[in-house]
Amino acid sequence: MADPVLYVDQLYKSYSSLIAVNKISFEVQRGEIFGLLGPNGAGKTTTIRMLMDIIAPDSGTALVLGHKPGAMRHRVGYLPEERGLYRGLKVRETLVYLGQLKGMSKKDAERKSDEWLTRVDLKDWGKNKIQELSRGMQQKAQLISSVLHDPDLIILDEPFQGLDPINVEAVRSIIRELRDAGKTVVLSAHEMSQVEVLCERIALIHRGQIVLYGNLKEIKKQFAPNAIEIAPPLNLEGWGEVAKAETLDGRQKVYLTESATPRDLLKKIFERGMMLDRFEMATVSLDEIFVKVVKGDSHEQ
Amino acid sequence: MNNKMVWLVAWHEYSTNVRRPGFIFGTLIFPALGLIGLIVATFFSGQAVNILRNQFTPDTNQKVGVVDATHLYVPIETRFANRFVAFDSEDAAKSALAASQVVAVVIIPADYVQTGAVTIYSRNANFSTAIVADSAAINPFLINGLLKAKVDETTLTRVNRPMNATRLTLDADSKEQKPATNDPRNAFSFVGGIIISYAVALLLFVSIFSSANYLLRSISEEKENRVIEVLISSVSPMELLTGKVLGLGALGLTQMLVWIASAVLLSGGLAAVAVGLAVALSPTTFVLTAIYFVLGYLLYAIIMATAGSLGTSVRESQQIAGLFSFFASIPWMINGFLFTNPNVLIARVLSYFPLTAPVMMMLRLALGQPPIEDIIGSIVVMILTVPIFLWGGAKIFRTSLLMYGKRLSIKEIISVLRNV
Repeated sequence: MADPVLYVDQLYKSYSSLIAVNKISFEVQRGEIFGLLGPNGAGKTTTIRMLMDIIAPDSGTALVLGHKPGAMRHRVGYLPEERGLYRGLKVRETLVYLGQLKGMSKKDAERKSDEWLTRVDLKDWGKNKIQELSRGMQQKAQLISSVLHDPDLIILDEPFQGLDPINVEAVRSIIRELRDAGKTVVLSAHEMSQVEVLCERIALIHRGQIVLYGNLKEIKKQFAPNAIEIAPPLNLEGWGEVAKAETLDGRQKVYLTESATPRDLLKKIFERGMMLDRFEMATVSLDEIFVKVVKGDSHEQ
Repeated sequence: MNNKMVWLVAWHEYSTNVRRPGFIFGTLIFPALGLIGLIVATFFSGQAVNILRNQFTPDTNQKVGVVDATHLYVPIETRFANRFVAFDSEDAAKSALAASQVVAVVIIPADYVQTGAVTIYSRNANFSTAIVADSAAINPFLINGLLKAKVDETTLTRVNRPMNATRLTLDADSKEQKPATNDPRNAFSFVGGIIISYAVALLLFVSIFSSANYLLRSISEEKENRVIEVLISSVSPMELLTGKVLGLGALGLTQMLVWIASAVLLSGGLAAVAVGLAVALSPTTFVLTAIYFVLGYLLYAIIMATAGSLGTSVRESQQIAGLFSFFASIPWMINGFLFTNPNVLIARVLSYFPLTAPVMMMLRLALGQPPIEDIIGSIVVMILTVPIFLWGGAKIFRTSLLMYGKRLSIKEIISVLRNV
């Protein structure tokens, strides 16, 4: 197996009495979209800042593209959670400067800026000042600054924050393109529903510690309930196969008893002549998994 | 440290700030005022010049009236006839004064020899009166009247000009250091030294509050608008800090060069000749002031940059920086003592304190010859201090840059500095 793009081992950071990152370990493989997820204050941004050599860890090891943090700045793109660009400078001028800081020549930075501005529909705004752009436009401009220099690793901290659904989808599309081009993307977000459609592997952080780590599909399978979703809702009261049924928004989630299978339930529904428009295995969201894990953690404590 | 990144940051800072309307206005305002003054002077075809001259220089083309009750001074001797005219009465003299036939009237009473008292009338209360009263013209006139019948010409000349001094100084080994001051070139060297050192001390002072303030604002604004995190993910804090110090230092230098160039142009090149001559005759002073200027700017630039990163807003950063800027003004407060003794103890102590050393030493160089140990010692202290401040400033810079809405406490600053 090739060396991981990101290698983190027992990384630790505290501020006075507050432990922000508590000996976390994970790896990110080349060409994948990795989710660094967790609620606000979990330690995601602190972890990312240590990987970017913006702050130094108290202990532990981190390797970025096989080197110490900071050594490969020109091959890493970063979109910080705290957004901001030079408000009084023009869009293109800002992008060219930031590209040059990443080691690009001025000519290349200008060419790539024009390409990306066209890609995100900001071609006509290159000569405008940053402050003249809407918030969504500014965020797209800042996203460009993180990928302009064609980095091997892109770290995006809360990339969908403040974006409308159209722009969310536009950014998702860019992320998929980057992955398809062989880049490695690390996404950090507190709204897990926004990123779980993209990520292949995740690390879920809570209070500075990793509570879940691994392939997303396998994690979901692990936490998948023995349940199905049907529509329209049916009267299943007294059925031996049904442990519990919840109805919401015209759909019904039916939790089966331990011994029952979805096939058993479907057979019985047909035997009783009930009509169905929809019958599928119920999935569990990352939010639900997170709550389950955290609550379980609380109970153990 | 990647020098390419440093120069990139420096160029960016310079090129964006040199275009700012605030900078352009601040730079051009003084030349503009000078040009307006020149136009006004030209427009009035020398009238303004005469007015200024009459205000500040003796009216050497106009005579002084004399009313002499002692009979020692009238008739006026030939040698004084071009400057003095006798009147028979006080009223006649005052009338002549009112008619601007004389510039002043000196009333010598009968008891002048015993009392020394004279009364001087002039047209208006301006510098001319004082100059007439103390000028080299009236004293010889009075002395001549007192002694003319009593001593020979040679003695009379000596009384009027008692001293033709040769100025020499001795160093610590009692060896002579300077040639005779009756050589006009050395007088100019002395004046040139004062001009250079005072001018550069003032320029350093202005730079601290000008280009170093740009540095503070630059960092503070980048922190306020949150672009700082993008920057320090691309360059190290030390590269960012060094680039900003160089770029904004060049900005301040540009401003000063514009002011100097405009002074040269508006004076018809006279200022350039004067400065050039002063530099040629006081090269040591020029080199030393340049050294203090560079070291002083570097030190204060680092302080301003650190203050910019500490504050939660531009205003707060300026308040923090103000505490340190106060030190730069302390030498000016004790400036008066230096005229009588440039090597007074407090001046020597302040010459070894990094925050006051640059301005203090330049003022001392202007007014005398500080001991060589003070010159070397103060430069060594500053050369050692600058990298220490850079090291500490970079650590605080790195920690406080991402603290939004919160400032490091003194305790936290000490903790940051202790944490290697």
